[in-house]
Amino acid sequence: MIEPVALNDFFITFMSAALIILFGAAYAGFYAWSKLRGKPKLMAWAILCYAALAGATFLLAQATHLNGEWRILVGLMLVGYLMAPMGIWKLCVGSHDD
Amino acid sequence: MSAFISNLPGKVTSLFAFTENPHLNGGQKLASKYFTVAMVLFLAQLLFGLLAAIQFIWPGFLFGWLDFSVNRMIHTNAMVVWLLYGFIGSVYWFLEEESGTEIAGLKFGVIGFYVLTIAVTLVVLVYLLIQTGPGKDASIWFINEGREYIEAPRWADIGIVVVMLIFFYNVAATFAKGRWSGVSGVLTLDLVALAGLYTAGMFYLTNITADQYWWWWVIHLWVEATWEVLVGCIMAWSLMHLLGARRKIVQTWLYIEVALMFGSGILGLGHHYFWIGTPDYWFSIGGFFSALEPIPLVAMVVHSVYDAGVHKFKATNHPAMAWIIAHTFGNFIGAGVWGFMQTLPQINLYTHGTQWSASHGHIAFFGAYATINIAFFYLAVQKWRGNVWMSGDLSDNGWKWKWSIALLNLGVLGMTVALLIAGYEQAFIERAMQGSTWNAYFAAQSHPWFREAMVWRTLFGLVTIGGLGLLIWDLLTIGKDEKRPALVLTDRE
Amino acid sequence: MSHQPPNWASEARWKKIAIWVTAGSFVLLIFLTFDTLSKTSVGGERVRAYSVINQEIDYRFDAQKNRYMPVIGKEAPLFGKVVTEAEAEQLVTLGKKTVQSKNCMNCHTLLGNGAYYAPDLTKSWLDPNWINPENRENLMLAFLKDPVGNARANASGRVMPNLGITDEEAHGIVAFLKWMSAIDTNGFPNNFKTINAKD
Repeated sequence: MIEPVALNDFFITFMSAALIILFGAAYAGFYAWSKLRGKPKLMAWAILCYAALAGATFLLAQATHLNGEWRILVGLMLVGYLMAPMGIWKLCVGSHDD
Repeated sequence: MSAFISNLPGKVTSLFAFTENPHLNGGQKLASKYFTVAMVLFLAQLLFGLLAAIQFIWPGFLFGWLDFSVNRMIHTNAMVVWLLYGFIGSVYWFLEEESGTEIAGLKFGVIGFYVLTIAVTLVVLVYLLIQTGPGKDASIWFINEGREYIEAPRWADIGIVVVMLIFFYNVAATFAKGRWSGVSGVLTLDLVALAGLYTAGMFYLTNITADQYWWWWVIHLWVEATWEVLVGCIMAWSLMHLLGARRKIVQTWLYIEVALMFGSGILGLGHHYFWIGTPDYWFSIGGFFSALEPIPLVAMVVHSVYDAGVHKFKATNHPAMAWIIAHTFGNFIGAGVWGFMQTLPQINLYTHGTQWSASHGHIAFFGAYATINIAFFYLAVQKWRGNVWMSGDLSDNGWKWKWSIALLNLGVLGMTVALLIAGYEQAFIERAMQGSTWNAYFAAQSHPWFREAMVWRTLFGLVTIGGLGLLIWDLLTIGKDEKRPALVLTDRE
Repeated sequence: MSHQPPNWASEARWKKIAIWVTAGSFVLLIFLTFDTLSKTSVGGERVRAYSVINQEIDYRFDAQKNRYMPVIGKEAPLFGKVVTEAEAEQLVTLGKKTVQSKNCMNCHTLLGNGAYYAPDLTKSWLDPNWINPENRENLMLAFLKDPVGNARANASGRVMPNLGITDEEAHGIVAFLKWMSAIDTNGFPNNFKTINAKD
């Protein structure tokens, strides 16, 4: 069962969905850049981007009424966007074996 | 007349006589034929898209002669076919180098090319001149199947499958004769899936729910699964040549990509099964996989940053490299941002079947597929000229390729934003406020936002066509007077 | 060449993962396909028997399911004649084949899929545009046979072209549209006020 988005929440739905992806990319970018250059300052930016991503996810969950079983999805998104860049980084280092 | 007909095959083949180029191997000569037709169809895609765009502004334009339905059908069909021509050509291009031997049945491959091209020409002529038929099986067999993207009549479907089998035979038999690799293994299996899926669109059903269920198998599992992997193979081979990347690393990442693409893409099919009469458990499956589909896309940013740090973008072919970067961005924006904005059923209820989908379609197809084909065309033309220099400091500062990539990207992005505004307005007024009746539909179509968006879309369409004109000019001239040999790269790791 | 990549980042490991993920997803899809096709066969709850064209069809909000649902009502034969299931299937099939042959989907959407130049046809049988249920069939037949002559003014200026639809084909299309309007589309379109819901 779904509860459709209310008319007033259209804009916030599109905006927050787009922001999740954009902040997700920014987080991944800063994370990798920080690792590559060994600069902890960039990691602070990465964390900030992830925080913004989490905020956007919360907004999207509210606007699209992700209640009940849909909450699992919210949790998976939060964990997925956090962990996937770390995993890809590990794979980059691991597969390039030097 | 009979003399004309008996001379026809000679005339047709003489059109492609220019592909006899001493710098190319057999597969590459055949690939050049495919690339040539691909560019012609790319141009057709844009021109018929322009006609359809103009009809949104002046509905009387060509009314009764070339109606919107015909223009739109040729617009989308030309796109599907030119992308496929580009993919097939790219595979033929690297087949001999990758397998280390000559193509097993090059003669069949050449015949297949002519059969396919003649079939495509006939289908388009029937679309243009006959257009529609009576409500009988004969119409579906010989005129128009009337199912979006795969309108080609059934006789042509069978022809396409035969040509795909020839192509598949050439790929599998050549690798079997020469040597297998990770890239060729993935490629061969992917082609089996790609051809097999097409048959899911080759039968008639009155039950429209089942009809659309299978229709999405073809459309989604091509575009969001098997095409992605096919492009992954082409990309893997290109990166080894363009950046001198090591095979073992490239192949590891190809497997990672296959796992991520198929893992999220196959059941991502669920987001097309929300509203066609299928059970509502597809809400959960579609919503779940759609929310997770962008994660690999986003995580791959890490890989791009890593590669940029390691390789510093030193490439043997700058235009091709620039188009691959355009691919990365386009795929991310088109599939990632534009896809996710409207994919959850809670909002898709209002955006499904509006200009939202058109907006998403324009940026996603261009970003994910057109870009990669164009990148490959540049790799091909470099070899064509005798493997000449194509890195920085080109003779005329490379203004043509730089302007064409700028105009094409600007044009497509502009159309996408215009359609997004139209789609937003349509979802809001027609769907949410007025409940999707015909009156609601027309109210939304006449709203100033919508009308202006259609004008902007057409203007940006013209920019896109300008970009394509420059691209064609550049592909015909780049490297012509170049004497320096291509940059040689070896992986320094 | 220094050392080999760790096992979890090796080519061989990811080859296996790729194969298992693909095979697993595909097997799940096959299973779901069997289930979906059995739940959407003609004559079931979601996709009604073709003879549903003998009955009144409406589309109303269902508070329990929290979405719009097709509602099958009393007998209301199409074109004033009760048909058997076989006759209904023949008529709807003619309609569906005509819809394909006339390339309707490259202007209209059906179940929301197609082109966006003309209105969605999913619930067009129920559209208030046909004014009242009594005269609807005649209006639809006349429109299909001569869309230019019967064009209703709309601010977009778009008109459906004459496609040479015969009287027989027009009857088939109307039957197909009536049958399609009874498909349970999970509440799409939302908030749609039908021809019966004016008062």
